[in-house]
Amino acid sequence: MNPDRLPGPIAGLMGRLVDASAGERLAVSVAALLTAILIGGVVTLVAGVFATCSDPILGPFCYNPLAVYRYLFLAPLSDPFVLQETLKNSALLLFTGLAVAVSFRAGLFNIGTQGQLVLGALAAALVAVRVGPAAPDGAVGGVLIAGVAMLAGAVVGGLYAAIPGALKAYADANEVITTIMLNFIASDVAFFLVSAYFQKPGSGSVETRDVPAAATFGPGLALAMAVLLVLAVTYLLWGTAFGYDLRTAGIQPDAADYAGVDAKRMMVTSMTLSGAIGGLGGAVWVLMSVGRWVNGVPALGFDGITVSVLASNNPLGVLFAGPLFGSMQAGSLSIDFQLGVPRQLVGVIRGLVILLVAMPELFRTLGVRWGMGGVR
Amino acid sequence: MSAPAVDLRQITKQFPGVLANDEVDLTVERGSVHALLGENGAGKTTLMNVLYGLYRPTGGTVVIDGEPRTFDSPRDAIDAGIGMIHQHFMLVEPMTVTQNIVLGNEPQKWGGLAVDRERAREAVAELADRYGFDVDPTATVEDLSVGEQQRIEILKALYRGADVLILDEPTAVLTPQEVEELFGVFDELTEAGKTIIFISHKLSEVTTAADAVTVLRDGKDVGTVDADSVTDTELAELMVGREVLFDTDKPPVELGDIGLATRDLVVEDDRGVRAVDGVDLQVAEGEVFGIAGVDGNGQSELVDALTGMATPAAGQVFLGNEDVTHAPRRQRIDDGMAYVPEDRQARGLVMSYDLTENGLLGSQRDPQFASSGRIRWDDAETHADDIIEEYDVRPADADAAAHSLSGGNQQKFIVGREFARDPDAVVASHPTRGVDVGSVEFIHDQLLGLREEGTAVLLVSSKLDEVRGLSDRLGVMHDGELVDVVDPEEITEEELGLLMAGERPPDVPKATRRVGGEAQ
Repeated sequence: MNPDRLPGPIAGLMGRLVDASAGERLAVSVAALLTAILIGGVVTLVAGVFATCSDPILGPFCYNPLAVYRYLFLAPLSDPFVLQETLKNSALLLFTGLAVAVSFRAGLFNIGTQGQLVLGALAAALVAVRVGPAAPDGAVGGVLIAGVAMLAGAVVGGLYAAIPGALKAYADANEVITTIMLNFIASDVAFFLVSAYFQKPGSGSVETRDVPAAATFGPGLALAMAVLLVLAVTYLLWGTAFGYDLRTAGIQPDAADYAGVDAKRMMVTSMTLSGAIGGLGGAVWVLMSVGRWVNGVPALGFDGITVSVLASNNPLGVLFAGPLFGSMQAGSLSIDFQLGVPRQLVGVIRGLVILLVAMPELFRTLGVRWGMGGVR
Repeated sequence: MSAPAVDLRQITKQFPGVLANDEVDLTVERGSVHALLGENGAGKTTLMNVLYGLYRPTGGTVVIDGEPRTFDSPRDAIDAGIGMIHQHFMLVEPMTVTQNIVLGNEPQKWGGLAVDRERAREAVAELADRYGFDVDPTATVEDLSVGEQQRIEILKALYRGADVLILDEPTAVLTPQEVEELFGVFDELTEAGKTIIFISHKLSEVTTAADAVTVLRDGKDVGTVDADSVTDTELAELMVGREVLFDTDKPPVELGDIGLATRDLVVEDDRGVRAVDGVDLQVAEGEVFGIAGVDGNGQSELVDALTGMATPAAGQVFLGNEDVTHAPRRQRIDDGMAYVPEDRQARGLVMSYDLTENGLLGSQRDPQFASSGRIRWDDAETHADDIIEEYDVRPADADAAAHSLSGGNQQKFIVGREFARDPDAVVASHPTRGVDVGSVEFIHDQLLGLREEGTAVLLVSSKLDEVRGLSDRLGVMHDGELVDVVDPEEITEEELGLLMAGERPPDVPKATRRVGGEAQ
């Protein structure tokens, strides 16, 4: 793509975006969010024309967009179940969004967070089940089990991500392809291992035994850990020489070479870090959401990609994008029977939010890459 | 007399931070071969992209056959009879010669429902026949040699009705035999009334194949000369320029041990060609060793091997007494090597980082700025401010992103950062390229200051005055070899030009300084 061929007005807008201050960018994002909500409202209204209902809000319109939004944004406040789901989703998406953001910052497209999460979750569940009987009773034992389980999740997730990292560094294999393929392998290997060796006796579904109850925790603690991790990673990226190396390798590989960064090692290291965060997310899913590993792990790793893009791959941005996304997801679960609005419609609204919020950042990134914007 | 085939008037093309073309004039007569000569980055390709409609000029007029034209896209240029053959061919390899040539303009039958292959094949055969090209229209492109593929590209342009053919460094990918054949093709084409513009930075080719030569330097055209009467030396001078001679006050310096050296160094480029072919050089502490040569004769690859950006295919690199041939770049930085890179926007700076962050590039783990892996940003910012002040970088703002600086200011910041390392050895590649005259002098003074402190300096520059004025000894590179090491004060510009063109003038004043007691 040759930026010089862009029509003048578009090139001008991109230049403006490149030059935008942090405040202006925030304003653009908020405006995009409001626009997405507006368009989503119109879509909801129009979709209602084609539905059948007993009490339309007005004329042919079956769905009330205001009610939809009120439910999406306010249900967590009034409905304890929705609140719980929102908090859980948000915490998990913080982990996976952060995992993806770290790899994107390093210039690697880790599409394999899902696989790393699945295996991390399995490792955490198995370790918790195994260590459980040996641990002391009470809170101390719970903390111990949870700690060891999360460590296992991080280690396994990290090692699993190191594979595509090493393949890219030493065999020049595109990490997008390898991570996608490794996602399938992870799911199937986990399924096989559980059904063949770790099956919960007497259960009809493929799942492990329950982890000790003392090791489980609620979404509050998970959120706190996620936020701390986000802050720690932010510090790592912007406060340390390692983070400097990682960011430089991601944004301008030639300059990283020049600065003495070992590009191959950085690929493996940053993938491992990303995978470890994903695996940690898996451990939290086991200990917080289900209490065991069960086949059919939700697509948290893939949603993490969306969260990261929405946050323009900024860990602090993930802090906002994760909960935004998490709450919309939680709301969509129960909106069906609460309002009679199909949950797919919430998916449409979510898609609009991503599209409109992510696009300005995408164009800005492209603009920076193409050296647009004003010269002082 | 008829109007010239192409007449570019006062073409200016401004990119962010770079003035690629600065009021360039180019007049090409119909039926002639016109060479566009200049070093890498002189603006040759940009100018041709303007003519081909890929870039819109910031200023100036494109006149074709006496008629001013505005091209919004290559499509417009093609319609006006301009064809371009890029350095990297744009052919569909699994398809046949005919399919490639007619691609996008296929003869049709059944009212546009199908490609008339028979007619396409005939058209291609007829076209090849008319210009005396020996090609098989049914051959598959991937089975053809590079030279043949290039001829397919030329036929493609002719099929689209090109009267003016632009070739971007057409000989770069060819063997010497293929180059001869290509020049034969040029003759055929010009006899048939076509006009050819080709880009080159090789002097001998230009004088062999072209009728007229326009030389570009730093985005400006420095003149058009008749290719038959001009000598290689004159062209070399035009290309690298003759700036105002500055007085360099070079006090004698006691030479120390060898700071930087290579032995039988061989570096291969991406294609496996020996870009550096057996170079031996030694730079003593307290000495500036200059490398002169026309761009593309192995200087970049030599610098890459010295600085650890590339691994040599054979031979050794020494930093001090240490063999660093296979040492990673990190170790060379830690051992006190500073490096001013040729490509400042890809290597020297991270364009989206601010100057504070860029001041750390390479020193991000230096105890001066980091303790146990933690960067002390206050110290980093002070460091950037110091560079900014000392080297008069504008804007004087450590928070400004590198991409918001002009090219010259970017260069000053890099030079400042590298020289501030207190290095034992410096590799400086075109350290003053794009820098204003005042700053040039300042950078030269700093370089000579390092020399007096006993630093070994290797200076690569395409500015002859710069390398002659600063160097204690001057090596000349041609075709990957260090053809001679001469005394920069005694050698004449003419002798230097001949050496750079690969010839051997008699009685060249050899460099006489001794390094480590051993005559060079």
